[in-house]
Amino acid sequence: MPPADLLFRPPADIGNLIAVRDVPALVRCLADPDAAMRKRAADALITIGTPAVPDLLSALQSPRALLRLGAIEAFAGIRDPASARPLIARLQNEKHSELLCAVVFALGEIGSPKAIPCLVRLLSDNAKYLRFAAAVSLDRFGWEPENERDRLRYRIARCDWETVRKAGSAAVPLLCDISHDPDPAIRSRVVSLLGEIGAGDGCRACEAGIRDRDPNVRWASVLAAMNCGITPARMPLFLASRERTGPNPVAAGILNFLFLGLGYNYIGKWWGFPVFMAYMSVIVLAQLATGPFLPYLVAYPVTAVLGLHTYYLARRISDQG
Amino acid sequence: MLMVPQDLFSKPAPDIAALEEQRDIPALIRHLASREPHVQAAAAEALARIGSPVTGPLIAALSTRNRARRLGIIAALGQIGDVQALDALAELTKDLSSEIRWQACIALGQIAGGGAILILHSSLRDRDKYVRYASAVSLDKAGYVPETDDDRAWFFAGIQDWEQLTALCDPAVPVLTSLLSDPDAELRRKAARALGAIGSSDAGPALLHALGDEDRQVRWEAMLASQKCGVPSMLLPRGLCRRPRLRKNPHIAGVLNFLLPGLGYGYLGKWWGIMIFQIDITATVWIFKYYGEANTYGILFPLYIILGVHAWYITKKMPEEPP
Repeated sequence: MPPADLLFRPPADIGNLIAVRDVPALVRCLADPDAAMRKRAADALITIGTPAVPDLLSALQSPRALLRLGAIEAFAGIRDPASARPLIARLQNEKHSELLCAVVFALGEIGSPKAIPCLVRLLSDNAKYLRFAAAVSLDRFGWEPENERDRLRYRIARCDWETVRKAGSAAVPLLCDISHDPDPAIRSRVVSLLGEIGAGDGCRACEAGIRDRDPNVRWASVLAAMNCGITPARMPLFLASRERTGPNPVAAGILNFLFLGLGYNYIGKWWGFPVFMAYMSVIVLAQLATGPFLPYLVAYPVTAVLGLHTYYLARRISDQG
Repeated sequence: MLMVPQDLFSKPAPDIAALEEQRDIPALIRHLASREPHVQAAAAEALARIGSPVTGPLIAALSTRNRARRLGIIAALGQIGDVQALDALAELTKDLSSEIRWQACIALGQIAGGGAILILHSSLRDRDKYVRYASAVSLDKAGYVPETDDDRAWFFAGIQDWEQLTALCDPAVPVLTSLLSDPDAELRRKAARALGAIGSSDAGPALLHALGDEDRQVRWEAMLASQKCGVPSMLLPRGLCRRPRLRKNPHIAGVLNFLLPGLGYGYLGKWWGIMIFQIDITATVWIFKYYGEANTYGILFPLYIILGVHAWYITKKMPEEPP
């Protein structure tokens, strides 16, 4: 057998698998790299329907993300209400954001009312894709919000910012809930809305926004801060306490002190590495001539000064407000 | 006064006015290649004032490979406005350099006669937004009126009039779909948003493709637009799965840290990785010297395994970037 055959298995005869209704093999095909093969396998499993569910449930536990995704898609096609519970349970264990999103969409497709409380909860999730998927799935149920709070959460999930703004102070706590969204564009939008609504309850989210990692969120927060009841004198304090994203001055200083040149390299100077190589060559040659310690004794006072120099350089180039 | 090395090499600014007065065309053409845009522009203006007699020498000088000079020549040809330059400029709208194509389209707008409109019409579909914009502005100046919906859509896309483009509805979909592959992420975002506003189901495949875009906002706009275009929601997660992953590979981190301790941490962006690497090199040399080869490996090998496993583990535990 040629080695290539050992490495690459021939593609499964999908037509035959469909004909004999070989569910386990069809489930395996859901992770096939060929999109056409995946689609045929998924369509076949959907046609088989409920009898395929046990094998698909096993696939849901697979370590292969693509196989899990294929299984979720097949569940959505089969629409067996019995699959709703395992899918809801999957929401707790799934690590991949896209797969979580797929589970939420699948719950909407399956249409089991058991999923509704879970989907309503997801309207306040921190991740915008999940919020959005939950809103889309709730639409498929023909869900109507029971109260104003749920209606606003739904609107936020749909990114219907105009409606949210018009809701005024009622929207503030809900906006604060999603003010830690991983997307800086959403965080920026949230603080801007808090500023436009102008309720003092948004103060904490606004303060957090001034300390945000993202400069656009920080700026949007500063613009919104006055309307949220933050006095101008407090803003610089929050801004200064933000997490710095530029080079760490202490790290630059230590690197240059111990390994002259690497500190410069760390703060983006191209010539840092040649300086380091030259320094190391001199140290090694000096060690060969005088023993291991004397060269360091001479070098460290010099590198200490240059370490300080790098420290101050890094402080100057550290990120701006 | 102390002379800095730069001053030793800098040349005094050329006297373009004197060269113009002397009608020194070769010298003026030479100055079109100046690194100083003010000098380039002044030389081009001087040549333009001389007028049509310089068109021939300028076209001949286009054979140069110097991009700055070619840009200067095209600027001069545009300002002269001689229709003799049309063929040469038409050829330049197919140049590999986008700046040359851009400049050529601006120059064609200044000539605005003969076949300029026809040439600019095809440049409206250029892959570069600057070229498309210049073509649209030049066409607008020439009083161009698009004949078909497709032309109208490309014209609005070129001039960046998103409102008009969206108002065209279905005829704009192919144009917007092609803009989804533009190198500029901001443009791709706007194209996805416009497709959502139109809500045509024809945009579905392109939007699904855009879900795997490298830019986070493009993916999000594509997601919102997909819903408005009636794309089945179950297709969206697989589209998102195609996005480029920025996650570090745990195996690479582990192998690097095992073979070159510290560089695995460096690969993960830890500033102190290079420090550990250097400490290891120094320590290895000295242990090697005092304890011999076998003992050195005996001491360091278990440590390297631990460092390799540690780098692998922390990479594995790193949270994935959200879509």
